[in-house]
Order: sequence, then structure tokens, then C-alpha cells
Amino acid sequence: MGTNNKRLKKELMEMQSDPPENCSAGLVGDDIYHWQASIFGPEGTPYAGGIFFLDMKFPTDYPFKAPTIRFTTKIYHPNINSNGSICVDILRSQWSPAITVNKVLLSLSSLMADPNPRDPLVPEIAKLYEHDLAKYNKNAKEWTEKFAR
Amino acid sequence: MEMALHSSSQQSTAGEYSQGSPSHKPPRGQSIKFGELVILGYNGHLPNGDKGRRKSKFILAKKIAGNGVKPYRKHIVKNPQSSKAVQDTHQHSVSYTLSRNQAVIVEYKQDPNTDMYQIGRSSEVPIDYVVMDTIPGNQRTANDSITQSTISRFACRILLERDPPYTARIFAAGFDSGRNIFLGEKAVKWYSGEEIDGLTTNGVFIMQPQGGFNPTGKPGVWREVSVGGAIYPLRESRSAPLKSNQILDEDNILHDGTVIDLCGATLLWRSALGLITSPSEHEFQTLVEEINAGRPQCPVGLMTLVLPSKGTLELSDKQPYVYLSCGHVHGQHQWGQKENDSRTCPLCIKDGPFVKLKMGCELSVYVDSEPPTHCFNPCGHIASEATVRYWSLVPVPHGCQGFQAVCPFCATPLHADPGYVKLIFQDHTDD
Repeated sequence: MGTNNKRLKKELMEMQSDPPENCSAGLVGDDIYHWQASIFGPEGTPYAGGIFFLDMKFPTDYPFKAPTIRFTTKIYHPNINSNGSICVDILRSQWSPAITVNKVLLSLSSLMADPNPRDPLVPEIAKLYEHDLAKYNKNAKEWTEKFAR
Repeated sequence: MEMALHSSSQQSTAGEYSQGSPSHKPPRGQSIKFGELVILGYNGHLPNGDKGRRKSKFILAKKIAGNGVKPYRKHIVKNPQSSKAVQDTHQHSVSYTLSRNQAVIVEYKQDPNTDMYQIGRSSEVPIDYVVMDTIPGNQRTANDSITQSTISRFACRILLERDPPYTARIFAAGFDSGRNIFLGEKAVKWYSGEEIDGLTTNGVFIMQPQGGFNPTGKPGVWREVSVGGAIYPLRESRSAPLKSNQILDEDNILHDGTVIDLCGATLLWRSALGLITSPSEHEFQTLVEEINAGRPQCPVGLMTLVLPSKGTLELSDKQPYVYLSCGHVHGQHQWGQKENDSRTCPLCIKDGPFVKLKMGCELSVYVDSEPPTHCFNPCGHIASEATVRYWSLVPVPHGCQGFQAVCPFCATPLHADPGYVKLIFQDHTDD
């Protein structure tokens, strides 16, 4: 029972009592290191109306190491691949122990609204996003209808 | 002890003279406080506690009867040791040895209108306040003992007018147990028939703040004060045998905020009136409580941090630390540690030292009563913004000719420019 555990408990309590807008998170079972989270597709994006689930696994030395997070709901997005892996710097090189679950979910929500095609995980989707936004929107919307409802 | 008792009884019977240990305890209830002398670097108490005439701060209060002295006549003798004025232990005198067989003796007489306080390293009775060399906080160990001192045994004396506005004047050198001051053959001294004066070996320096001891004040130029109380530019090095010309438009009057350097210990003079602008203990507690009421959090541990209101109490995981390169306040944790003492701040990814925050508890060095929002670099002592800014600009003598800005709470030389940092708290309420 280190500080890490204490911190995760605090984050969990905070997440239940004061969750960020359009997000939620909680334990999968009774393992403090294994969480499930959900993000509502941001309004004004092709993901609107969908609910996207995520699996979060925390290392025992959290927050000094980043959690492993993946989308369990299929999503059409340049920075999220078919396994649900996410390419975002704050979960990799830019991780800092001052980043909380709350902040991670908020930044994933804004990544959905504002993809980063310059650092893509799925190059085809990134290409479409840059050169044929209408087509990208159509595909993403279809996936949302199909997988996130 | 016997000597102290003797001088005390002498004081009550004769009523004209008080010196030494009885005088540092002003009579209860009726004494007027002239001001305080705060030794820089102790933050409220000496490392081993304040005892008797050895303290981190001295209160100068009106004595029962004036014990001041003033020069009144001088004469030339062949051998000062055998002269009557020197041998007479009731007679104050200053001997200036000019050559092996010529000395000028200035006899002093009682001045009932002034109080005299003497400061020096000696623990003999004539010294009201015993000061030892200050070891900077970053070099202190558990059992320090000063092996070599640069402070004179009878370093200086302060004479205060017993009537308003209680003008305080400082003079180099103090009278010894025989009520004599000797300036030996090698001391810097000058005699022009009329005028006789001299400087002590390591000298007494004073620095008057320009514009007062307040948030807009700036440190002035360091000067040297002579045995007779005249003001001179600093010598080329601390004990150089040459003096320059007297600065006639400056004087030896202590103003609120005047800094006195005794070569090994530096003292701040605060007048009783000036102290009103510094926070009282109660006001300060309120300021600290206001910061704690914001329930600042460690961004990593997410625990509430608490600023210690007294000294450097251990608060375990509530103890705040600061990243000195950015000012972000955290709890203790190990993330971002580099090989050297540097750490990466989790909030802004800047590298720099990570130090424990400590309260600046010696409130007499505060230039205002604003909240303690800044800390000195590298020691982590917290004070108000104007206070850290003021002291970061004050060059304090060290060594023979060097000057450096120091933390007034621990005497650690300040690092980097500006030598302090604004604290950034993660307030729980802003989350």
C-alpha cells in the first residue's frame, strides 16, 4: 500500500463525486489498478451520440508511470487503431505524474474532436481526414452508429 | 556571575552606571523599547537555543538610568598602560597608540542623556549582546564549533538618546572590563592635533537603505564607521591599513533597516516605530492560515499540503516542497530525479532543484505585512514578495572584500538571478 494506491483511491473518489463533463470512470472489479472509463462522443463531431468505452490498466508505480489505455469500442480515428491503441503524447513521452485520469479523459475527448493527422496511428484515416473531410466524417459517423450505440 | 552581581549592585546604589548582564533585562512594565537588533541567519532562535546574552535577536530598551559616555578631554602620554585614565576602572577612555612611546588618550565622561549597549564576541560583563560568527544554513552541521572568529571581542557600541526621537548612533569598538578601548600601533588611526580617530582591525560596516526599509526601499552603499563615529568609504580590503577621506554628509545614526556588519555576523537594526510595518505574530498566523485555507494540493500525491506556521516542523506527507526553477509546490515524491540534485517538475517539465519549504519566522526582517507567497533560492525560506525582493538586492559582506546576497533567515548565499521564486500552489478549490 504505497502512495500510488492512495492516489488511485483519491482519483476514484474524485471521479465518482465530481466527474468531468461527458466522461465517467470506475473499477472493473475490485482491483484498484484496473478501471473502465467511458466518453460521450463530443457534440459537433462525427462521434456525437456515441458512447465509447475504454480499458485502463495502471502500473503499480502509478503515477510515476503512465497507465495503459485503449478504446474497447471500435472508433474511426487517425490516432486510434483497430486494437483501440491510442497515439497521444501525454500517455507516452509527455507523461508526468501530475496527469490524472480526469485530465487523461478530457484530453482524449478533445483528441476525438480534434484529431492529430501529423502523428497518425492509422495513416489512411489521417490522409482522408486531411484531404477528404466529408468522406472521413461519413465513415466516422457510420462507425459510431454501428459500434458505439 | 559575581561580577554581574557586583555591577548590578553598583548600578542600584550609584544609579549612574549599568553595564553588562543586568542591563539586557529591561525593568518590567516601564521600559521603552528603542528597537531591535536581529542577527541575520537565525530565523527566530540560535541553533542551540537562545541563552542569556546570546540570542538571535536583541531588544534595546531604555535603561533605568542613562549609562552612556561621551568624550570630554584628551592628552598625550608616553605609556597608556600606566596612565591614570586607563588604570581607573570607573573612567572610560580610548587609547590611540601612535608610536612605541607616544599615545593619545581620550577620556570619556558619563552622559546621563544616553544609554549605551555594547556588542561583541566577548562574554565579559561589558558586552550586552554576545555574537558569534554566523555559519550559513547550508553549511551547518549538528555540532558546529567556531574555531576561528573574525568578530572582535568588543566589536561596537550603540548609544541611544533617552528622549524622543531616541536617536541611535553606532561606533566602532566597545569598552572592555577596565572601561578602556585600546587601538594598538598597527590599527588605522590618525591624529591631526585637533582630531583623533581610528578604525578597528576588521572594521564595523553599516549600510543605510535608500528610501527606507519598505517595499520600495533599495539597499544603499556600505560604509565604515570609526571609533569616533565618523563615516568612511570601505577600505580596499577589510583590514587594509589605509583609510580614505571622511564622508562628511553621512552620519552614524541608525535608521530603521540599517544593516550592521561586524565581520562574521550581520545585524539588522529595526526601530520600534519601523517594526509596526512588519507583521505581528498574530497577523502572520492569519496570513499563513489564509494560504492553508485554499487547501493547496500536491499535483502528484493529490494530498492536501500544509504550510508550517512555526519553524520547520515535520509534517510528514503534508510538508510542501518546491521546484526552484518554476515555483510549483508539491509534496515529497521521487519522480523525475536526475543524477545530480536536479528534478523534473511534473507540471512544466522544467529541471531544477526540489527543496523543502520552510517559513521565514523572523518577522522583523519583513519589509511589509503581505502574505508569504515567495521563497528564497536555494534554501526554500518563505516570505512576502517585497521581503524576498528586498533581501535579494542587499549585498552582505563576506570574507575580506566579497559581497553576496543571503537569505536573512539562514544566511545561505542566494542562487541564480533573482535569488527567489514565486510559489505556485495547486489550490484544491481551483480544480
